[in-house]
Amino acid sequence: MQNAKDTFYIALQGRVAALNPARTIAVRGVTRPGLLVEENELASAKEQADVFRLRWTGARLDMQGTLPLAAMTCEIAYATDGNSGNGGMDRGRLLAAMDAELASAVGAAPQNAVKMNYAGLAGESGAAPIAMGTNIFWSDAVFGKTVVNGERLERVATVEVFSYQEVGEL
Amino acid sequence: MADVMRATGATARAADALLRGVGGRTVLLRMPAPAGAGDVAEQLGLETPQFQDVELAPVVFRRARANATEGKAARREVLVSATAVEALVGSLGYSAAAVLFATAFGVLVDGVLMTVESVTDSEVFGKPYLYHLWLREPVAETV
Repeated sequence: MQNAKDTFYIALQGRVAALNPARTIAVRGVTRPGLLVEENELASAKEQADVFRLRWTGARLDMQGTLPLAAMTCEIAYATDGNSGNGGMDRGRLLAAMDAELASAVGAAPQNAVKMNYAGLAGESGAAPIAMGTNIFWSDAVFGKTVVNGERLERVATVEVFSYQEVGEL
Repeated sequence: MADVMRATGATARAADALLRGVGGRTVLLRMPAPAGAGDVAEQLGLETPQFQDVELAPVVFRRARANATEGKAARREVLVSATAVEALVGSLGYSAAAVLFATAFGVLVDGVLMTVESVTDSEVFGKPYLYHLWLREPVAETV
């Protein structure tokens, strides 16, 4: 399942960066596309507005087929305070823009990608990721209600990500 | 007089003297190393950053709430010299004290790592002379 999670994040990050290169996040001094996986960051990291934060919240395994089919729930949380120069009065529009970006990034064809194993990147070797034998595929985003938290607008969208568990895969 | 205080940083030095006078001590600020540019391994949680501990002194350390509720972490307040913070901001290459504390992983006090919950400062003439750090103890350490 880890390979599917990694592949989905990298695929979505590439799509978000292509749709809106200006959406970035600064993590410990480095600027990168505005998308992160919460479980891969320091627990002390502050929540930032105007970026997409991925959380893996559910997993099911269907053992009926030739290969086990894993279905994982990915919550994509995002929030905006609006632009301070506009007194935050554009926060609704900015949230709508993030909705549209996410819908495009998740819903653009194809809604699948070759599953990659990134484990080789760890350590000094820095080996290239390895393409696996199956694809991951995912559903459209389902958007939750807008939550008003003071001056901040927040939303959580949910995507189901599916992948076949290959032999020996974590 | 106000100009003299502003120009010479007299208030910051006075705050330092007071902190030392009431038993100012040293704590360690645990900082993660900067992320690697384009380092996918770190973004995927395959690699963890290195940490370095940097000294923060003089500070005065006190419990902000006497009795923590069972299962809830106690909070502590640390009063930190602005002179020390400014020196750290400069030497570590951060743009501001707020960025330094936002990046910090925690404060190490007698071997116990505490999380930085919030930071405020006291200032005069627009220049901070004292920082207040609100720390959360690990629940296991709360008595």
